[in-house]
Amino acid sequence: MKNLKIYEGKDHEWIVFGRDAEKPKKIIDTNQYLIKTPREGILLDPGGIELFSAMLASIVHFMPVDQITHIFASHQDPDIISSLGLWDKTISHATLHAPWLWEGFLRHYGCESLTYASIADKGGSLKMDGIDLQFIPAHYMHSSGNFSVYDPVAKILFSGDIGAGFNKPDDPLFVEDFDTHISSIKKFHQRWMPSERAKMAWIERVRKLDIQMLCPQHGSIYKDENVGRFLNWLESIEVGSGLRLD
Amino acid sequence: MMKLNGELRTTFFITAVDVSARLNAVLKEAKNISLEAMNAKALVARAGENVRTFKPITDYMVELAYDTIQLVEEINTEALQISKSSLIAMQGEFAVSQFKKAKLNSRNALYRDSFEKPMLTAQKDSLEFEKNLTRHTHRLHDLLEQIEMRMLAANVVTSTSRLEAATVSSVYQANFEAIVEKFEMAAGNIRSTLKKCRKLLKMQRY
Repeated sequence: MKNLKIYEGKDHEWIVFGRDAEKPKKIIDTNQYLIKTPREGILLDPGGIELFSAMLASIVHFMPVDQITHIFASHQDPDIISSLGLWDKTISHATLHAPWLWEGFLRHYGCESLTYASIADKGGSLKMDGIDLQFIPAHYMHSSGNFSVYDPVAKILFSGDIGAGFNKPDDPLFVEDFDTHISSIKKFHQRWMPSERAKMAWIERVRKLDIQMLCPQHGSIYKDENVGRFLNWLESIEVGSGLRLD
Repeated sequence: MMKLNGELRTTFFITAVDVSARLNAVLKEAKNISLEAMNAKALVARAGENVRTFKPITDYMVELAYDTIQLVEEINTEALQISKSSLIAMQGEFAVSQFKKAKLNSRNALYRDSFEKPMLTAQKDSLEFEKNLTRHTHRLHDLLEQIEMRMLAANVVTSTSRLEAATVSSVYQANFEAIVEKFEMAAGNIRSTLKKCRKLLKMQRY
């Protein structure tokens, strides 16, 4: 599994894990993120059960796994969090932050020891070892209970499925040519995102934030001007294509 | 204790519930035996002194039916336990394999040892469930054997009953012979089902 430090600040770092060449061919590729402070860590959408061992093997290059004190799940999909049962055994002391809506469902993956900290619909925040993270509502983008994570110091927004694309294994980790990149993300957004209203609400919400990097759970990361380009593009397309059944 | 390999483990929890489902047939037959025993008791009461030698036979039939039903209930409990333990053991083994894979792929990692403790806990839990599984499986075999012994005894009783039925008054002979035949058929069906169950379990035995 590839990994890259995408941010290094005074108090914390962001590391992305993905493009696992050894993953089973038929499972969708995913990006997993670790925010690491001197004493603690949080995994954002730690990935499916098929990726667990690769993730664990990668993480221990950066920090002792028992210092990971938090896990965040943006929503309930298996590519995001079906490894939960295994993390439950590995870091049983940790807290899982996830939408209140999905608690009964996520527990099906196995959550005997972890503490489940429900995130209310309006969002919330987490103070971890001196850094502040914000849980930004992103409901119906695509899941009906869904959150993005914003780091105001690193100016990074973890956007989950928003911004996601079907990348090829050798696609760059960062979007280089936005116009070319559209072909990887257009169908995904048109089909997966069900609501125009939800889309506009999310765009309005995140435009108020200072974002230098927008990190999706699939595909390439948007940096600098490409963040604005993406938001403009998302605003311009019509979503909910699954409703057009003719 | 030999370790079940992954493939056997995968089917074992299915076999356990399969056995439990088949034993429903045994339960049905045991209830039939119980019913016939009640008929026989009524007949014995009606026939009076003419058939007093049949009374111990009907008492035995009632006892056999009761014991069989109790044993089937115990077997169902064990089979469910086996199915649950087998599934948990399988999940535990999977967790251990994932930790081992991570260990292998993190050879040069600075904090490679940081998941040693959860790995050892997962291994310990997995072994614990395997022990449980062995214990419940042995118990299941014992219980099946107990029913089988009772059915072998039923064979003997059937032969004796046939002889006794031949000596009763002709007024009641046909009735008693019918009861003996039904008892023999029920016991035979039970033995046949038990044979299939044992065969299923034998294929999974360790």
